[in-house]
Amino acid sequence: MAEDKAWSTSAEITWCPGCGNFGILAALRQALAAAGLEPWQVVVVGGIGQSGKVAQYIGANFLHGLHGRAIPHALGVKLANPELKVIVVGGDGDLYGEGGNHLLHAFRRNPDIVCLAHNNGVYGLTKGQAAPTSSPGFAPKNREAGTHIPAFNPLAAGLAMGGSFIARGFAGDIKHLARLIGEAFEHKGFGFIDILQPCVTYNHVNTAEWYRKRVYDLELESHNPLDADAARARILEWPAEGDDVEIPIGVFYRSRRPAYETCGRPGQAVTRLEFDIDVVKKAMEEFR
Amino acid sequence: MNEVNLVIAGRAGQGLQVISRTLGRMLVRAGYHVFISQDVMSRIRGGHNFARVRVRTEPVAADGDKAQVLVALDPALVARHLPGLAEDAVVVADTADGLPEGLSATRLPLADIAREHGKDPVMANAAAVGAALALVGLEPVGLDEMFESQFARKGGDVVKRNVAAAEAGFRAIMEEQQRSCPHRLLPPTTQGDRLLISGAEALALGAIAAGVRVVTGYPMSPATPIVEYCFRHAREAGLIVEQTEDEVSAANLAIGSAFAGARAMVCTAGGGFCLVNEALSLAGMTEVPLVLCVGMRPGPATGMATRTEQADLLFSIYSGHGEFPRAVLTPADAAQAFHAARDAFGIAEKYQTPVIILFDQFMADALWAVERSSLMSVVSSPSSVVSNTAAIKPYSYRRYEVTENGVSPMLVPGTPEQLVYADSDEHTEEGHITESAAMRVLMVNKRNAKLSGIMQELEGPKVEAEVEVEAEAEVEAEKETLVFCFGSTRGVVAEATARLRGKGHEVAMVHLKCVWPFPAEAVSGLVGKGRKVVTVEQNYSGQLAQLLLQECGLRVAGTVRQYDGRQLAVAEVEVGLEELIGAKSG
Repeated sequence: MAEDKAWSTSAEITWCPGCGNFGILAALRQALAAAGLEPWQVVVVGGIGQSGKVAQYIGANFLHGLHGRAIPHALGVKLANPELKVIVVGGDGDLYGEGGNHLLHAFRRNPDIVCLAHNNGVYGLTKGQAAPTSSPGFAPKNREAGTHIPAFNPLAAGLAMGGSFIARGFAGDIKHLARLIGEAFEHKGFGFIDILQPCVTYNHVNTAEWYRKRVYDLELESHNPLDADAARARILEWPAEGDDVEIPIGVFYRSRRPAYETCGRPGQAVTRLEFDIDVVKKAMEEFR
Repeated sequence: MNEVNLVIAGRAGQGLQVISRTLGRMLVRAGYHVFISQDVMSRIRGGHNFARVRVRTEPVAADGDKAQVLVALDPALVARHLPGLAEDAVVVADTADGLPEGLSATRLPLADIAREHGKDPVMANAAAVGAALALVGLEPVGLDEMFESQFARKGGDVVKRNVAAAEAGFRAIMEEQQRSCPHRLLPPTTQGDRLLISGAEALALGAIAAGVRVVTGYPMSPATPIVEYCFRHAREAGLIVEQTEDEVSAANLAIGSAFAGARAMVCTAGGGFCLVNEALSLAGMTEVPLVLCVGMRPGPATGMATRTEQADLLFSIYSGHGEFPRAVLTPADAAQAFHAARDAFGIAEKYQTPVIILFDQFMADALWAVERSSLMSVVSSPSSVVSNTAAIKPYSYRRYEVTENGVSPMLVPGTPEQLVYADSDEHTEEGHITESAAMRVLMVNKRNAKLSGIMQELEGPKVEAEVEVEAEAEVEAEKETLVFCFGSTRGVVAEATARLRGKGHEVAMVHLKCVWPFPAEAVSGLVGKGRKVVTVEQNYSGQLAQLLLQECGLRVAGTVRQYDGRQLAVAEVEVGLEELIGAKSG
């Protein structure tokens, strides 16, 4: 197996033709190439689902673990060795459903990890059930009358939890998405990007065309991402009901907070710490 | 006397653990052997808690029978302890008012002493320590050094007031009794450099001595004290200690750290371990070295949060979906817990698979006197991590390379010009997802081949009949009944079988400090052809007996079981075994 710096692997890509994941994979490759990183310096942690397979296709170190648990895995890697660049890839079911609790606490902790949430509003790998981000009008396979409950707004949750980098991208705009991922790489903290993504097989409401008509770039609207109130207003624009909605993409909010792995920690890769037996000998004194 | 049993009873929040530990350390420093167990209710204030302190001139690893001394921090609690008191017991309480009639009580005005000599109600703890020393006939020497070691950072004044209160407590007993102490301890027979340490602390310290770097958990009795100990020592020991949002995160975070090359340990209890099962399975599949400390308490569900049981034996062996190798260690006491941590990291790293240290509330919370020298052997890193990475062609590393013993050379991410893949899906040798039938079989065989290697690492069980009994009767080995136990019941069973041998019964103990892989060959060898086998275990269904049948084809003659949330007492095991063994043999 010879995998070079092309940010690709020998693994066969098993997504449906036309899947939004291709756009995200392409954008991630562009961002990695632009960041000047070596593949061995990067760890991609994938959730379970079609999105998590990005880990297998990107040509960096990877931990392709459990549904919903990519964030704890990534946090474990980052705490043990802060020198590694750690990227989480997962779907809406993975990060917003099964692993929602971990996501909330990741915003609070603020580790220097980039988190790419593939949001297609439907469960693909299990064949068409509703996702936390399915809109109330969407009629999933398992509930023909629709989901009836409001869609999860990950950006609003992130803002409420003190998230330090809150962004949304669109799989259909690779150039814009690659730039967003690049900004998340630069950000020292939890770089969260919700990525709108069509599912050609199961989501016939939120198609590529549907998104393309509605997305607009925050940067062109002179949005100030340091303004939390402005961010809140933009974040609440979508998900929303109605056919005339507009969907902002770009960086909604950004703040400076210390990265979690730097707070009261050894400050280096613990894997390289020397073992000191005197610590044990000294500790025994308290039991004498 | 060569043994005195004290009970210190009070309300939650009255400092029972501080009193019993300080007293215990004074006694250990004086050269005695000490065993202290805690009986604690699941509440923050009030209720009824007590510590049993057993002090002896000989080694001790279980609670004693009747108590010779009861120190009641609240007189209202005396009545509850009457059935457990020896006939000549001394009862010490703040006031004699309201005590049961006919009881000869010694008045100890702890609150007054604390105010007068300690200038603070909390000094009642120190006064109780001083009083207890007087009750067993010891001089209050070394109090300043003891309190210095506890309160030096709070300032010399706090140390002085503690000493003053302890001395006042001592004098109060001496004046009150005005006669020779009825429960005076004989001088210690052996001198040793001993530590008084809880099972949980020993487990944590053992992990630190084994080079643990990442410790995770979500608070749950009885595993919390392990994490708390690590928290306190995180800075000097170079640890990352992480209290996560739930046990799921705790286990998966530890897997991430272990994947990145750090020795990682997750600490939880039965209920939390249920949540950890999926991660356990992931560690098996991705071949990540992971140590899990699993504390048993009575279940199912929330059960009895602060009490003890051994009902997760089979669960720990079969937990996690799918088939993968693991070791389950069941240390008996603090010394074994310390070494279990070392063994667990050794096995987990060498065989790249999860190792469970299964303990119970009783073992974790009890204080054990341990020879310091016995704890000084440190893990000798039997690592399978590749040290000469230059020998591998750039970008050619295969994480799951198939080898004869199933163990693949290990690299960690961050190794220059190599990539490391860890995959929860069935995977190729590189680590890429596959659905190939042939590769599936190859990988299942590879993973499970590691179990026989693990088996060879583990020290086999042995018959333990050398526990101190004077003039032990000669027994014919073939007639002996073997009493099997695991985990924390070792001290209790050892003493019960010793008593039975003293009565002429041909009986001996086999303690299992590792239950998986089950040492079937060694056990079958010990039992031989004719020996009767019984088990002592703290669960309803006789889980160890089931394992003996399954793994060795051994049908036990009976089991002594208890599942009331309390540790079996020596006398209870003695009676139970006597019934099973039947009339005196021979």
